[in-house]
Amino acid sequence: MLRWAWLIAVKDLRIEFRARGRFLAMIAFVLLAGFLFAVSLDRTRVDARDVAGPLVWLVMLFASTAGAGRAFDAEDEAGAFRHLLLAPAPRPAIFLGKAAANAALVAAVAAAAFAAFALFLGIRAPGALASHAGVLLPGVIGLAATGTFFGRISAHSSLGDTLLPVLTFPLLVPMMFFGSTGTARLLMERPWSEVAGFVRLLWAFAVGSMAAGSLLFRHVVDD
Amino acid sequence: MRLEGRGLSCAYGPTDALQDVNLVVGEGVLAVFGPNGAGKSTLLRLLAGERRPDRGSVLLDGVPVSAHDAGWRRRIGLVGHRSGLYGKLTVSENLKFFASLDGAAESGRVAAALAAVGASALASRRAEALSRGERQRAALARALVHDPEVLFLDEPFTGLDAAAASALEEVLSERGRRGRIIVLVTHDVVRGKALANRVAVLSRGRKVLDCEAAAAGVRRIVDLMGAPRPQSPGSLGEAGRRSAGAADGSQSARP
Repeated sequence: MLRWAWLIAVKDLRIEFRARGRFLAMIAFVLLAGFLFAVSLDRTRVDARDVAGPLVWLVMLFASTAGAGRAFDAEDEAGAFRHLLLAPAPRPAIFLGKAAANAALVAAVAAAAFAAFALFLGIRAPGALASHAGVLLPGVIGLAATGTFFGRISAHSSLGDTLLPVLTFPLLVPMMFFGSTGTARLLMERPWSEVAGFVRLLWAFAVGSMAAGSLLFRHVVDD
Repeated sequence: MRLEGRGLSCAYGPTDALQDVNLVVGEGVLAVFGPNGAGKSTLLRLLAGERRPDRGSVLLDGVPVSAHDAGWRRRIGLVGHRSGLYGKLTVSENLKFFASLDGAAESGRVAAALAAVGASALASRRAEALSRGERQRAALARALVHDPEVLFLDEPFTGLDAAAASALEEVLSERGRRGRIIVLVTHDVVRGKALANRVAVLSRGRKVLDCEAAAAGVRRIVDLMGAPRPQSPGSLGEAGRRSAGAADGSQSARP
């Protein structure tokens, strides 16, 4: 199972690296968002750290949504997905591979967002980066899994990519709340104990969405 | 080895694409002919297990098969209307990827598959940069790379030049002689009949002919398809010229 997932993830990342367009567009979006907030935020009234947390999570949400849509565009471009489904890889492995590639891209965009907001908003990420990674990691996994699963459904639909945010955003509201609050609290130098509850909920969502996606994916791709 | 479709029926909404088709495919090449919309591609999808029939079943040596069975998927290769190649990957990377999924990543397989269809020179080129005919050859190599026991081909000669078409004829004939099952869907009656051990004709979702290739003349097949007569065999490959001559009851009129 993991061997197949690995092969599919490596293939997706190789295609993404060669296409480059989506990743560069996301980085441009991150830089633009950081710059706009830097010039427009009245820092005498608003603490930039309050804004940076939700902003990082918003960027991750956009990255995962765009990533899921594009991953299946490449599959459908010349009918390759038909052949992927005819290969002996189990459906859960296909889902895991595609979700893993999407997660890698979302993680890269999140890291870029962190760096950009630190630069433009003058935020010094306090404490160990591991704490921030501890909040972001389950979010990245949950976003990638949800985006990948619904990305396939929307790719099948006549509405195309328009349908994807309609399906995913309502589901992701709780996770976005837990994640952005957790990141904001860490930036405000609150202790880990104040975010540990959010992290547990984020992991529950991440594991649940991965498991549900793996189990249900075949119902989405098979007739 | 014997692939069998029993009472296959399939509908897309209110339209019956296939109605109660029974078909037995032995080792060698079965050529399936029919006009547009006759149900040829649907038949291929059902036989490959890609789509579940509304009624009926597909069996290999008496055992039901479906695309849900990974063991069955490992035994088949398919060439569809589209290349199925990832444009951003080279031909070689595409083939390695699919061979690895099939557990057939031994070195030399990719090169052998490309050589078999005369596409060795395409190995390092990205699929998105290939011409129509080159993509078709690369797609054929992809279908052959894991040496499948059952090969499904949907219009494989489309876009191929004469040399590539002859190379493909040779590959299919050789696989047929090795006891592989090949289901070939094509509009090219002369070429298909020349390659086939057995022919079937579909019309409006029903099977209207199923017999040994030698027992069916090209004209009869074309008449059953309700299509115009084929062109002069002058533009065909060697197998096509042989078949056209046989169908007319004569050798080629030209020296």
